[in-house]
Amino acid sequence: DLDGAAQERLSKDAVCTKCHDESETKPILAIYQTPHGVTGDGRTPNCQSCHGESANHLAGDVGGKGRPAPDIVFGSKHTPAGYLPTDPQAQTEVCLGCHKANLRMHWPGSQHQTNDVACANCHTVHSPTDPMLVKVLQPAVCFGCHQEQRAQTKQISTHPLDAGKMACSDCHNPHGSAGPKLLAKNTVNETCWTCHAEKRGPFLWEHQPVNEDCTNCHTPHGSNITPLLKSRPPFLCDECHDGPHNSQAPYGNAVAGIQGGGALMGSSPNSNAVGRSCMNCHVMIHGSNSPAGAFLHR
Amino acid sequence: VATPLAAQAQDEGNDDLKALLYPLNYFDVGVRNVPTDSPKFGEYNGLNESGTYLLGNFDVRGGDSYGQHDGTTRWQVTGNDLGTTSRNLRASLADQGQWIFGIGYDQLRHYTTDGSYQTPFQGSMGGNLFTLSPTFGVINTTTANSGGVLTSNSRGTQTLTATQLAAFHTEDVYSERQNTSASAGYNFNREWSIKLNFNRLDQSGAKLIGSGTDAYDLRDTGGFNYGGERIAILMNPTEFKNDTITLALNWVGKKGYASANYFGSMLHDDYSGVTWSNPYVSGGNGAAAVPPTGTSPGAAFPLGTMSTPPSNQFHQLNLTGGYIFSAATKLTGGLSYGRNTQNASYDGTYTTVPNTAQLLPVNSLDGLVVMTHADVKLTHQATSALNFTAGLKYNERDNRTASNTYTFLDLGGDALTVVNIPMSNKRSQFDVGGDYRIGSSQRLHLGYEYDHISRWCNNALANNAQGELSATNAGYYTVASCVQVPKNTENRLVATYKLKVGETVNFNAGYTYGRRTATVNSSFYNPMQANDEGFENFGYVAFFDASRKENLFKAGVSWQATDKFTLGINGRYAKDDYGSTLGVQDGDVSSANLDASYSYSENASFAVYASWQRRTRNLFTASGRDAVALRTTLWSNDLTDQDNTVGVSGKQKGFMHGKLELAEDFNYSLSSTKYSTTLVQNINSAVGNSGTTPTISSKLAQLKFTGTYQFSKASSMLAGYMYQRLRSNDYFYNAYLLGFTPTSLLPTNQQAPNYSVNTVFVAYRYTFL
Repeated sequence: DLDGAAQERLSKDAVCTKCHDESETKPILAIYQTPHGVTGDGRTPNCQSCHGESANHLAGDVGGKGRPAPDIVFGSKHTPAGYLPTDPQAQTEVCLGCHKANLRMHWPGSQHQTNDVACANCHTVHSPTDPMLVKVLQPAVCFGCHQEQRAQTKQISTHPLDAGKMACSDCHNPHGSAGPKLLAKNTVNETCWTCHAEKRGPFLWEHQPVNEDCTNCHTPHGSNITPLLKSRPPFLCDECHDGPHNSQAPYGNAVAGIQGGGALMGSSPNSNAVGRSCMNCHVMIHGSNSPAGAFLHR
Repeated sequence: VATPLAAQAQDEGNDDLKALLYPLNYFDVGVRNVPTDSPKFGEYNGLNESGTYLLGNFDVRGGDSYGQHDGTTRWQVTGNDLGTTSRNLRASLADQGQWIFGIGYDQLRHYTTDGSYQTPFQGSMGGNLFTLSPTFGVINTTTANSGGVLTSNSRGTQTLTATQLAAFHTEDVYSERQNTSASAGYNFNREWSIKLNFNRLDQSGAKLIGSGTDAYDLRDTGGFNYGGERIAILMNPTEFKNDTITLALNWVGKKGYASANYFGSMLHDDYSGVTWSNPYVSGGNGAAAVPPTGTSPGAAFPLGTMSTPPSNQFHQLNLTGGYIFSAATKLTGGLSYGRNTQNASYDGTYTTVPNTAQLLPVNSLDGLVVMTHADVKLTHQATSALNFTAGLKYNERDNRTASNTYTFLDLGGDALTVVNIPMSNKRSQFDVGGDYRIGSSQRLHLGYEYDHISRWCNNALANNAQGELSATNAGYYTVASCVQVPKNTENRLVATYKLKVGETVNFNAGYTYGRRTATVNSSFYNPMQANDEGFENFGYVAFFDASRKENLFKAGVSWQATDKFTLGINGRYAKDDYGSTLGVQDGDVSSANLDASYSYSENASFAVYASWQRRTRNLFTASGRDAVALRTTLWSNDLTDQDNTVGVSGKQKGFMHGKLELAEDFNYSLSSTKYSTTLVQNINSAVGNSGTTPTISSKLAQLKFTGTYQFSKASSMLAGYMYQRLRSNDYFYNAYLLGFTPTSLLPTNQQAPNYSVNTVFVAYRYTFL
């Protein structure tokens, strides 16, 4: 029942699939389970659409030098057959021929593009399931290069990446973006507010570093200081405040209470120093909407 | 015309081909046993309680487009972790190239304590009223002479009576997110398409929060007065609903592409505040005597109330697009305009005290923040070896909320008059870069980045409310001086070199130099600090906008020895030097990472990794407005944070005639953080002390074994073992332990999280094409 265009596509595919069949270690033919293999869709590519006509490859071993590579070899490593991957920019241009818009809009000049990352470095096009498109599998692909972030997600305070409830692409657009660090939104805060809209305000009483950049205090991939803090109050607060009342005191080991060997105000530990420290009282640290909350107490 | 593979797949004995052309559907049904209670282990995976959990997963796909048929429809229904509070369900139906529709549900229960939180308050998690039994009695935080009249400033022993101790009960605290989503897309033709995404976040539960209340104060000897501070840790409700909508109209042409979309986020908080009893004082008035410790208060405990996050909305229009002038020259850009509004009533956000309710200038904020964004980027490939990139970005947060004067009694009993300061900022960024390929094996990238931030306030009232300004009466000279640093400018130079050695080795090295300068208003008065403490000390600048020099080095090498073995090593070192006399002085970040993988047969492989990270930060601070000049109380505080992580994973298949597959995964993370305070000058011992904190440490080991045994084409058995062990030590919890709590802090008896959990699961998997 296939129309002429579909028949022609399958005929072009057959040139390749007569050799690259079900016996291949990699599931070449599984591409027919993916959007690239929907025969009835007039936009569906054939093998040559992506890999090129590859006349030399089809000609076989001429002159005893072995079979030449196809015109376009995707990926970042040489293949089991010994073929070197094609230049990343040339690989990517093939994909952008159809996928240049929407999420890929900011690809030209993006961090990944300028660092020679090709689409096939992350995407597994022939597989029935592309790990990059599955929330629970995607982080492992990203962590292949971003090892610092992988390590941070193993710390005691993290977002639920390890639990498979978040993917890197929930915050980042790896294809490029107008935001910093390939963030999906225009700014750090806009990205965080996607899930944490209760921190958005605007509040009656604002806290400047909160307005400007959540990462002034938080480190999003993981921390030894809960909740995802860069440092432990009162020392975190002291990085911006040394004028007001108790941040004028060197707390030293008094922050650890009597058990930590330190104490202030005579023999008893000081509730301004221990536990939540400043945030025992200044609890509305992201901003307050109470008329009595000027100092973030209410 | 070649015979379609689908026809061949129908041939007897061609199951391998059929399995490649048709989706493999499955249902998993089984049980998982968790022998140990641990909310921290179950923080995100829903396995917080001991017991047996249903294990249920499925993935079923269909449609007439599989198997090289001529149709274009596909559908998929999936479910994961159905027996836990971390469950997920999704379904989608699409006619490829025409339309797509999907729905989803995702539940995530986030445990924020380790089950050791105790409280004497009556009130359930998720509620916003926490009271004490009338028999709880007043906590001893005062010393009274005969007649029960305050005569000394002792804060008392805070010893809890037997009745008070008996009132403590344990609560598991968690905040749960339930996301329900729907999406739809339609392609009008190959150029035009429209897409709609909707998500409702329904958040419930609570997170712990501190809370300050007032106590007796000797300034009104013999009676009750607002004064002092007393702290209780409460279950702050997280009862929100957030509806998010994205509607996008997309166009793709031969040379260009564009997208116009609306993004809306509407947050509703079910509460405006949370209210709790003050266990440190009884009700009363200025003439009332202090009730004897442990007795029932003469009147109800005074209530404290604080606000919860206000309901708010964000509506944004975005226009993005790109144009391809030629294969060598491309332009992309975008514009955004957003309005963030908030007009929640103040009712219920504070406790009515003298000078507050009566003097409210308005009953709600009517807040408006306008967020604008623009960006443009041009890329040009001058030759096959030379590429250029240039970009501009602009972001503005214009807070147009009105300023008003608010008078209220703050903690400590001060009657304060404060003006709210709506803060605005705008950021302009420019970058230009070039890539030059030197032959086929080398590449050089050079770049320059410019970053400028301006800050101001639209608060005429505050600007005019300071009176005549002088060195001793600083304030808002201009609309730009409501912040300590009205302007930051940063210039950065970036260089990267890449070298390919032969066919298997890739080397890269990079260096970045950045210099940020700050325009400081040295007489800036911080309105967010108590009236007599609003000045930062001379020479002090907050780290995030202080002048700074940054040097960053990074290098890495990867080696693909064979198609079976790869090895990669990389490292980074960044050093920040701040230009402030006081505040953060310097800090550095170092890391080293190793990755290796080896496929020792067609059916078996393993991978190892190791990461080392270290961070330091050195702070120099002072006590007193002019402490540096006077050489009074000066001290340093140094942070050292180190994280070591290793992992090993492996996969083997082909055992028992290809019926058995195994997978293993092990990760170990060791993190430590400590602070050291050194007194530098003339310290008054009554003010503070020096010393090194106990190390905050966490050691997390995770081990997983999973196996799959295939009985037949359709049936297989899955089994697995998971072990997790956390050992953590954190002085944070010392303060909240019964018997060790500081005066004026109600204990919670929380412990640092520690657990060892062994879990096993077994499941039957039914698969079909």
